[in-house]
Amino acid sequence: MSAPLLQLDGVSRRYRMPRTALLRPPPVLTAVDDVSLTLNAGQTLGIVGESGSGKSTLARMIMAFEAPDEGAVRFQGAGLNRLSGADLRLARRRFQMVFQDPFGSLDPRRRVGWSIAEPLRATGAEDSAARVTQALYQVGLRAGDAQKYPHEFSGGQRQRIAIARAIVTRPALLVADEAVSALDVSVQAQILNLLMDLQEEMGLAMIFISHDLAVVACICDRILVMRNGKSIETGDTGALIAAPRHDYTRSLLVASGIET
Amino acid sequence: MELSQVSVGFAGAVALRKASVSIAPGARLGIVGESGCGKSMLGLCLMGMVPDAGQVTGSIRLNGQELVRAPERVWRRHRARDVAMIFQEPMAALNPLKRVGDTVMEPLMIHEGLSRSTARARALALFEEVGLPDPAARLRQYPHEISGGQRQRVLIALALACNPGLLVADEPTTALDANVALRIIDLLVRLSESRNMALVFISHDLAAVSRATDQMLVMYGGDIVERGPTAQVLAEPRHPYTQGLLGARPGLENRGRTPDGRRKRLVTIPGTVPPLHDLPQGCRFSGRCGQEFAPCARQRPQPTALGQGQEAACHLLSPLHAGHGTCRGAA
Ligand SMILES: Nc1ncnc2c1ncn2[C@@H]1O[C@H](COP(=O)(O)OP(=O)(O)OP(=O)(O)O)[C@@H](O)[C@H]1O
Ligand SMILES: Nc1ncnc2c1ncn2[C@@H]1O[C@H](COP(=O)(O)OP(=O)(O)OP(=O)(O)O)[C@@H](O)[C@H]1O
Ligand code: SF4
Ligand SMILES: [Mg+2]
Ligand SMILES: [Mg+2]
Repeated sequence: MSAPLLQLDGVSRRYRMPRTALLRPPPVLTAVDDVSLTLNAGQTLGIVGESGSGKSTLARMIMAFEAPDEGAVRFQGAGLNRLSGADLRLARRRFQMVFQDPFGSLDPRRRVGWSIAEPLRATGAEDSAARVTQALYQVGLRAGDAQKYPHEFSGGQRQRIAIARAIVTRPALLVADEAVSALDVSVQAQILNLLMDLQEEMGLAMIFISHDLAVVACICDRILVMRNGKSIETGDTGALIAAPRHDYTRSLLVASGIET
Repeated sequence: MELSQVSVGFAGAVALRKASVSIAPGARLGIVGESGCGKSMLGLCLMGMVPDAGQVTGSIRLNGQELVRAPERVWRRHRARDVAMIFQEPMAALNPLKRVGDTVMEPLMIHEGLSRSTARARALALFEEVGLPDPAARLRQYPHEISGGQRQRVLIALALACNPGLLVADEPTTALDANVALRIIDLLVRLSESRNMALVFISHDLAAVSRATDQMLVMYGGDIVERGPTAQVLAEPRHPYTQGLLGARPGLENRGRTPDGRRKRLVTIPGTVPPLHDLPQGCRFSGRCGQEFAPCARQRPQPTALGQGQEAACHLLSPLHAGHGTCRGAA
């Protein structure tokens, strides 16, 4: 059998906090604590947990923006932390990310076509207008939109642009960190459907991070629940919702309106 | 508080159209709708805080007193005593250089002439009432030293400081994690009950409105398109826009896959809210509504009473188009 698309083995990440007393060593916060997971091509995994539980830190390690202090992140069998700068750049074509705040992640002074092509340039791929146009079509926008600026679009359209940028390199894995949390429910539904379309058309694997279990449940095959940096429960979506093993998971079900 | 036929216009565009709303003591009213539909504008009308560029017409009465053209000085007195608002931008409302205790004590000393020590005792009691852990220590902290949920509690304490009869909470839970949001909603409900304080709860989150309120308004393009008891409207939405908003929220029926192996899709409302100056004539929702028929593009629908206090403004429900109303509205 070939290696899974993504594999995390006992990954931990610690941050040094500000010193509280002069003579004591600064306290250390374990933001992610010994998390392991496996994701195969085309699968969708949801990561849920309350604020501060370590979801974004985990995402940054999967994207190799940060290296774990312990454990390893393997993408298609290759340890990301051991790749050279040039190899990592090349590997990045295969995994991309969508963030919560589409305004913050688009340069307001650049036409959106330029922003969408950015991952092509960053990974040394050919910066082609055709690829940008195709990405725009895939997210339901028009070729002419490449010439406009971010402020000319609504919040939902900006999130579509951010998604176009993430899929322009035709990745195998998309990491979406709170990608729909800031949107109106109507727009949120449009973006979730778009992600499902892309996932099925492109065979994308997806890691979908949110604190809203109801959203995660409609788009993911499996769910991993995080608390205080630890993975406390993981399972198939249906089973996890029907019979959560932890009270904490149940509280997330209540908070998202799935249970009352 | 009583609004009747209140409109707010901005240079040719109407942000709020002929809104009539009455809020009894202790009532809890939810306002929902997509971004830009006029929810905050309605809240600002209740506070006398519509931006200067906005033309306000109609009647705004507080305990019988007409306030629609009242000078800022009069509104300021009411804002110190009768009405308070939690604004959409929580960070903007707190001075980053001031301890949160001082922020809460200040209006007590200015408006009620309390001494510093009495004001501190009141602030401490408020911090306890809103459930801030370790309240005495919190008084001395700065905004950046506390979590988002705790900051929202400080803002609630600040809003409660002068015992308002009406609290307008504009998206008080939107920036918060779901568990924290739930606790803030339950706190607002508890406070409204224990103080017999009216609560206007603005949110685009239907689950939050369902938990927080007993009456609700649905707004689209500056119009109130549907209203009624919250449980009733959510269980049996009659306006196509309300139906669309409810359908878009992921639920049980959207989970899993269809027989052909594809994941089930969510129901969506096509398109987005057009800019104010570009809203269609006739029904504002035409162009996005899946149930549009002949009169929609030409005629503005009027509210139709639907029983049990529910009403909605849609031609499908109007007796004038009864044939359509029964066969398609029910589908
Ligand atoms: N660069 C950093 N330096 C110090 N601490 C950090 C850093 N990044 C994150 N943390 C801490 O690590 C913990 C996990 O943060 P993380 O952002 O991963 O949480 P999250 O689950 O994404 O939360 P949210 O839902 O609020 O986005 C938090 O306590 C956070 O304060
Ligand atoms: N100062 C202003 N000048 C012109 N138009 C304005 C002004 N302030 C608000 N508007 C318009 O009034 C309309 C209603 O805005 P409002 O803030 O009430 O929306 P909302 O429903 O609260 O949306 P959100 O969910 O984004 O907070 C918007 O279309 C907005 O563009
Ligand atoms: S009046 Fe017509 S367009 Fe408007 S909501 Fe009703 S059916 Fe739809
Ligand atoms: Mg995060
Ligand atoms: Mg608003």
